[in-house]
Formats: sequence, C-alpha cells, structure tokens
Amino acid sequence: MNTCLKTTPLNDWHKAAGANMADFGGFEMPLWYETGVKNEHLWVLKSAGIFDTSHMACININGKGSFGLINHCFTRDITTLEKSRCAYGAFLDTNGHCIDDAIVYKFWDTCFMVCVNAGMGATIARHLEANAKGMDVIIEDLSLKIAKMDIQGINSARILSKLVQNPGKVFNKMPYFSFKGNFNESESRVKLLDGTPVLLSRSGYTGEFGFEIFLNPGSIVKLWKDILLAGKEYGIAACGLGARDSLRAGACLPLSHQDIGAWQFINHPWDFALPYNNDKTSFTKNFIGADSLLPARADSFTYPFAGDSLRKVSSTDSTKVIDTNGEQIGRVLTCATDMGIGWHKGNIVSICSENLPRDFKIKGISCGFIMVTKKLEPGMKLKLKEGKRTITATIVTDIRPDRTARKKLDNFI
Amino acid sequence: MKEISDLNLPDDMKYTKDHEWARLSGDIVTVGINDYAQDQLGEVVFVELPETGDTLSKGDEFGSVESVKAVSEIYIPVSGEIMEINEDLEDAPELVNESCYEKGWLIKVKPEDVSELDNLMDKAEYLDMLKG
Repeated sequence: MNTCLKTTPLNDWHKAAGANMADFGGFEMPLWYETGVKNEHLWVLKSAGIFDTSHMACININGKGSFGLINHCFTRDITTLEKSRCAYGAFLDTNGHCIDDAIVYKFWDTCFMVCVNAGMGATIARHLEANAKGMDVIIEDLSLKIAKMDIQGINSARILSKLVQNPGKVFNKMPYFSFKGNFNESESRVKLLDGTPVLLSRSGYTGEFGFEIFLNPGSIVKLWKDILLAGKEYGIAACGLGARDSLRAGACLPLSHQDIGAWQFINHPWDFALPYNNDKTSFTKNFIGADSLLPARADSFTYPFAGDSLRKVSSTDSTKVIDTNGEQIGRVLTCATDMGIGWHKGNIVSICSENLPRDFKIKGISCGFIMVTKKLEPGMKLKLKEGKRTITATIVTDIRPDRTARKKLDNFI
Repeated sequence: MKEISDLNLPDDMKYTKDHEWARLSGDIVTVGINDYAQDQLGEVVFVELPETGDTLSKGDEFGSVESVKAVSEIYIPVSGEIMEINEDLEDAPELVNESCYEKGWLIKVKPEDVSELDNLMDKAEYLDMLKG
C-alpha cells in the first residue's frame, strides 16, 4: 500500500463495502465493489448508481476580471453562458495541448467555479494565476473544502426528491448543464432535509440523466448512505471507477490524460468544446492555444470506435490500429466494454432501447477511441491488434444509443 | 482480492505456474483456471476456447479468459486432444468466477502421456510459488 495516497471522506465506507481500491490521480479510489463492474454499469442504465468523485478538484474565481480570465484560458466561449449554467471545455497550453478538461460554473458575472480532474487543482490554479497578471481576480483552490458525489440514472431525481427540501421547486426548470444552490452559503437554494447546503448540478460523466452534488466534506458520508437507503425502492448501486470508465466510453466522453492530453486539442469527436464559427474555419474568440490549433494539422485524428463483440484490447501503446490495407495507422487511447449495448442488424442497440426483439440478448460491445494518422470515415472497418490478439472495430459517430442525460427532467420525476 | 490463505485449492488436482488446474479422472484430464486466477481477473465476461478435436502440446495457448479488467491467455497443462469444451461458458462466462473447479471448467483433454501431470505442482508446491 502506498501511504502517500490521498483519500476522500468516503474511503472507510468503500473499504467496509469490500471495494477493490487503486491509485487514481494520487487518490485511493474504488475500482468496483462486490456488486461487480458489469452490474454497477447496468444499474446506472436501468435505475441509478452513485460515484465518489471527491478526488476531483474545484477552483473558485472571484472578481471583476473573472470572466476575462476564464474566457482567455478556457476553450469554450463563455460570453453567452448564463448565470446558473455550466459548460464543458478544456484548458490548453500555448501549443494547443490539453492541460486538463473542466466544467466552468457561472454563479454570477464576477464569480465562477472551475471543476477539474484529480490532482489537477493546483496545476490549473497556477495556470490561471500566471495568466491573471494585473487582473482583478481572486483564485482559490477549494479542493480540500468541497466533497463531491454523483448520482446517475433515470431514478436520480426521484431518489433525491426524498432527501432535499422543497423538491418540487428544486427540480422545476433544471435543464441539462444547469445548477442550483451553493455548498458554502446558509442561503443556498438547495438544502438537504437536515439543512446542509448543496450545489446540485445537472451533469455527470456517464451520458445518463443525473446530478453532480457538491457539499462540505463533513456531510458527504451521511448523504451517500441516505441516498443508498432512499434509492432502495428503485434499485441503486455504489459504483467504482470501472463502471464510470465503461459508461463514459459508451457515452463517447473523453478521459483526460488518456483520450485528450499533451497533444493538440483538435480533430477529435469533441468539437463542441471548441469555439468554432459556423463553417469551422476559425474561432469566435481568441484563447490560449488557439493560434496553434488553426489551421488544423492533418496528421492526427481521434475517432470513436465500436468493436464487433464485447472482446476488448488494452488501452496501451502496444495496441496497434491496422487499416484494411494492413497498414498500421495509430494506437488505441481507450478500449472498454459497454455491457449495456449490442449489435442488432448493423446498428447498436441498448438495454434501454425500445422495441427490442424479445429473444435478443445484449452481451456488450467493446468501444472507445483511437488516434490515427489519417482521416477516416464512419463505417470504416479496422483491426485493433495487441500481440496475438486482434479484434475488429468500426469507426462510429456515437456509441451507446438512447442515452438519457439530455432528456427533459420532467420525464424522470 | 483474496488473501493467499483464503484461496480454495482442492487437493485432488495439479496446478501450473500460470494458475491453471488439471484433474485426472479415468483417462481424461479436465482443465480450468484456479481460484487465484479468477479472483485476480475479476468478473469474467468472455471465454475463448479451442475446437473439439484440436491437438495441442503441453504449454500451448489454448484460449483466453477475458474479464472486465484484463485479458489472460490460458495454457494447456498436458499434451493431447481436446475431447470436450465447456459450452455453457458461451452464455454464462461468470461460471468461471462462481465455480472455477466444477461448473466453470474449460476443456477436457485426452492426454498423450499422463505422466506429464507429474511435472505439475501439487497444492503445497503451488502455494509456495504464490508466497514467493
């Protein structure tokens, strides 16, 4: 055991629940519990799952210069970002390489919060400080002051309704990527039944309907246990990083430092994270890294793929991408098995898809991202080869169908 | 993960360094992966097996066991002909986790030379290897 690993307030709970623990970004985190990755993944698709995400880091940015600083450093143009809304994007260096991806939360015009990955709080705070010279901003790394957990799945709002004050009001008009409340204000618009203020954000990392919940570290263990209890009637599971990885891969979402990283943040499936103009020839604003990204280089492309079956290969440099001519054209960034999907008559279907044939059994499909040296088109077949093991994969534009993250909250209350 | 002392390692079989087990019954050797291997792999989601009738030499790779976590090649502990494969694993690969010595067996082999089994480890020798 590495004694230098950091822990979250839920560490004891994870261990008591029999979790398989591992180092993730310097934190000792659960990979899976006794339920197993497959079942944890399926619980999120069918009902609900909770994830300890307290290893993630938050930074507060206050002051008149906040907007200018963030818009200069972040890939998204937040000019039109409304109050109580959040946006996904990335922080790049001057070469256009990704330092980390992030969600920016706008409290009001002079107050924002940035949520980044495990261990990246200090790095991004320093990056912001370095670019804030002469600006009226106060940058505060909140990493130790906030705990965070996510609840994901179609029953998330129903379960939380039992645990928050005035649920009707809280869950009224809460679109995707909006948030309510605050974690450190007694006047927070969202409070748990015992009065604990929370920031409730309609976002997550699974592609499914749900929320990220920010609150003070002293209150998270109780909330975690209360949610498991309140969720019992619907079905709920504590989920580890394994299920998080397979769910997010199926949802076509990148893992920072694996699918995006120290290379140019362009020619990838996450165009929406860049401030393109309508014809994608330039950007609507200038930001750090922008000059290096355009014109886009034509020697590196990232694409989502879906395997022919649930069989996977390792996400390592030793796994090669081979095209139909037998030419080696790149490597596998992520390969995970989404256990909730299967191929049916040339299309991917999910256990949540309607009108599935009654005798059709879904066994899972391996999926993820490849980085290749030439432009590919959806539908193209490839071989992913790791030593003697080879799987066949298809370039796709999306992976798990019928995801719920963007659907109206009214459907789930 | 299980502690070494918690592993279920029956006495009536032999073990390989790659964590397969082999049990002789009549003139047939049944082969699977042991409790240590299934525990390390985690949930098994796919088992790739040879064809009945294939003839393999001791130490040849005869398939792979794929879990949510990793893919592991499996090696045949005795030379011989594959008489039967466990077809239940196609629909229920989790049997390898739930019952690695009974319902989760992998192949049945007709050995060319039964004495090859003598070169495999018994339970005590295998435990010594695990403990390093």
